[in-house]
Amino acid sequence: MARLELNSIGKGFGPVRCAEDLSLTVESGEIVAVFGPSGSGKTVLLRMIAGMFEPDDGDIMVGGQSIVGAPPERRGIGMAFQNFALFPHMTAQDNIASGLRAKAGARELASRVTSISRLLKIEHVLGHMPRELSNGQKQRTALARALIGNPEVLLLDDPLRNVDAKLRYEMRLELPNLLRRSSAAVLYVTQDYREAMAIADRIAVLIDGRLAQVARPEEVYARPASVAVARLFGDPSINLVEVVPATDQGCLMCEIVGARIRLGSFHDQAADQGPCWLGVRPDDLAVVRSASEDAIPARVVAVTPMHERAVLLLRFPDGTEWLAALPPDSPMASADDGVFVRFAPEAALLFDRATGLRVDVPHRRQAA
Amino acid sequence: MSMVQPLQTQALPRRAARLRGRILPYLLSLPALLVCIAILVPFVTAAIYSLQRYRLNLPYLRGFIGVDNYIDFLSDPAFWNTLRISLVYTALTVVLELLLGLGIAMLLRRPTRFHNAVSIVLLLPLMTAPAIAALMWKLMTNPSFGILSYLVSLFGAHDFKWASDPSTALFTVVLVDVWVYTPFIMILLLAGLRSLPRQPFEAAALDGVPASFVFFRITLPMLAPYIVTASLFRLLDSIQQFDIVYAMTQGGPGDRLMVFQVQAYLEFFQYTNVGRSAALLMILWLITNILSNIFIKNWLRLRARAHGHA
Amino acid sequence: MDHSSLASRVFRRIALALVLVFFMFPIVWIFLMSFQTNEQILRIPPRILFEPTLANYEALISGHLRTTAGNLEISFMRNLMNSFVLSSAAVLLALLLGVPAAYAFARFKFRLGETIAFTLLSFRFAPPLLVLLPLSLYYQQLGLNDTYFGIVWVYQLIALPLILWIVRGYFEDISPDIEHAYRLAGHSWREAFTRIAVPLAGPGIAAAGLLSFIFCWNNFVFALILASADKQPVTVGALAFVTASGIQYGQIAAAIVLSVTPTLLLALYAQRYLVEGLSLGAVKG
Repeated sequence: MARLELNSIGKGFGPVRCAEDLSLTVESGEIVAVFGPSGSGKTVLLRMIAGMFEPDDGDIMVGGQSIVGAPPERRGIGMAFQNFALFPHMTAQDNIASGLRAKAGARELASRVTSISRLLKIEHVLGHMPRELSNGQKQRTALARALIGNPEVLLLDDPLRNVDAKLRYEMRLELPNLLRRSSAAVLYVTQDYREAMAIADRIAVLIDGRLAQVARPEEVYARPASVAVARLFGDPSINLVEVVPATDQGCLMCEIVGARIRLGSFHDQAADQGPCWLGVRPDDLAVVRSASEDAIPARVVAVTPMHERAVLLLRFPDGTEWLAALPPDSPMASADDGVFVRFAPEAALLFDRATGLRVDVPHRRQAA
Repeated sequence: MSMVQPLQTQALPRRAARLRGRILPYLLSLPALLVCIAILVPFVTAAIYSLQRYRLNLPYLRGFIGVDNYIDFLSDPAFWNTLRISLVYTALTVVLELLLGLGIAMLLRRPTRFHNAVSIVLLLPLMTAPAIAALMWKLMTNPSFGILSYLVSLFGAHDFKWASDPSTALFTVVLVDVWVYTPFIMILLLAGLRSLPRQPFEAAALDGVPASFVFFRITLPMLAPYIVTASLFRLLDSIQQFDIVYAMTQGGPGDRLMVFQVQAYLEFFQYTNVGRSAALLMILWLITNILSNIFIKNWLRLRARAHGHA
Repeated sequence: MDHSSLASRVFRRIALALVLVFFMFPIVWIFLMSFQTNEQILRIPPRILFEPTLANYEALISGHLRTTAGNLEISFMRNLMNSFVLSSAAVLLALLLGVPAAYAFARFKFRLGETIAFTLLSFRFAPPLLVLLPLSLYYQQLGLNDTYFGIVWVYQLIALPLILWIVRGYFEDISPDIEHAYRLAGHSWREAFTRIAVPLAGPGIAAAGLLSFIFCWNNFVFALILASADKQPVTVGALAFVTASGIQYGQIAAAIVLSVTPTLLLALYAQRYLVEGLSLGAVKG
């Protein structure tokens, strides 16, 4: 099987740039999630690989061969669309069979359709027309159609977007195994960071047509390359505050509304950074009743349940608002309580305020 | 990651793909383009003829005379008659068909099975060839056996001559036009009425607003785009009416019904005056062009909206 | 709506009845007339009940018309056949030319496409004689005058804009992703066009085809100018028929019935597409 390589892809529609100097390699058998906010160019990227648009600059290679300029039908690519794009005038069976580009014999075709539909648990609806299928069945049919031809590259355009929550959860568990059977290089577009983290081997974070970070899911979460990436991962999203860190007695310190907070685990070199964003994820905050030098005084504005946790909206005396996500068994605070907020030094992330890049690690573009 | 691909091999298929992608739509629309040319060439020819002295029976007199054909019209009572009769015919038919079509659409507004059946049956006149429809009415208004002649005679009008009497010819032809084309307006307005949102009407009903107020202040304004579209469609067709007038009276009695296209037809075939005929049609084209420019803009907006919702 | 008073309901019923009488009476009356002898037609007052005769139809179908002025040989059936041949050929050609073009206009945004679409649209509203009269002179030079091909070609002016604008709307409603999916499955754009786009736009193509057929059939002026007697369709033929001296009125009525029946049947069959077609897709029915 073959790897997919994107070499400094650029694409614009008129004055709008949808892709800028995009480079990425997906190995055979690897699942890379392309994750980014809507309008970041994810779909255009997939469509360039599939051959619906051609890139203005750069090259796309499958197995070391350029596929730019080749018609879609000769690119060896399977694709599942967000809106399923099933052929409404064909049965599920014919939809799936149409994906077998090698003109297999009737018997082989039938057996391949049977085995893939068994794998995807849709054997019982093969005779149905798309309009008679539930969204989940449509989505599985679309996946089967993309998978049946054993494509070298598999593109999945937000395939779980239009299915209900329960099915989405199941598919998050099933999909990685299913995709790894095919040994294709998989590019998986999603707008949901949880989905990206659950399914992918690596995540490529796309912001405004540029790759902001390409790394393993844990690393993107724990060590986001920039403040923009940090904001995209996590729900509720990361709390940010402006700080000016300074070295004090060998420790890196900063002050947030009167609280002196030690960021000691950072290297001294960061001391010269000047103004920074300090980011702490809501999950990493502790809300306590007792004051201390490193606790930020705050008032609870509101408490809402979210997933299994309780989310507190906190307001600092200077008006800054942070969110804290507390486990359900933690002592509950209620609205208007005066509390103190603390976090471990390791939980704090520092970003240069001018460039937005994370401070403690020199930024390096991910090598392929 | 081998970035050292030779430039040439990369650029060539890309350029070929672009070229292929660009040529394809042109190839597909080539036949349609040919038809366009087949329209445009005679059209330009007509424009040129209109600037010539060109009579088929006197070919040696043919020559360029500028806008003389047009200037001649200014002092020609026949032209003013044509202009007047065309405009009167158009105004009468459009207004009558609009009022009648709107009334019928209001009657059939609720989508019951009976109303749907009626609206389908009412399409039949519209699907009858207008020339044939004129013949049907000619049979019905025949002075010796026509059913309509008989019916009006019951009311004392024993000498009602319909299309052959100059004083009633226009009325008769307008009647046929109304018979054929009212269903057109009706069916468009009915589609419009049934696509209107229900909430304003339900709110009005709850508030006990009088029906006339609902009609003039809610229904009509919301229906306006459909009314404009339907009546402009009719306006453009009506000012060019040929089939009904020609099949019914050939422009007569006398010059009573010499609408534009009938006059131009006779200029061409009877008087073989190509130049004058072309000039007459150019003036008609100018009138329709002004109208259709307004119309197409309106229509495209409506169409875009219809597709947006689809 | 059901709270309307008795008076208004009665008024609505009466109004609707009057509307039906006005629009249906001519068709019904001519239909009845076509089964009457001349004597029955000329009787005053006219009677609703009469003994029907098929003689008018027999005379038309055989082509031998016995009239007061002697025997006439009028091949009205030939007009009928001409209408079928001309309209079907015109619609087939227009579908062949128009469907790919409609697809191009829907899928590729290119300036020439827009120009063509608008030229055709604006000539839909131009006086037909403006194009026809010069065209008849060109036809004489080209030897296309009074040929089936020549008439089928000008019928494109009726059928093509209709097909382009209606079918284009249907193609626009098909998600391009569906075609992309088919191509990625290993099919060329031509296969995607014929196996995906065309079948999915099928209802629109059928509607546009039926409507074009009706409009070609009902057209009068094109053939009046370009066709001689043996190529004339029923619309022109019927007019010539009426003016031929001494024809029996029942036979005229029968000729009218024969000329309108095909389109009326088609219209009833295709009625749910008519709104869309008549408004060139401006109003979705």
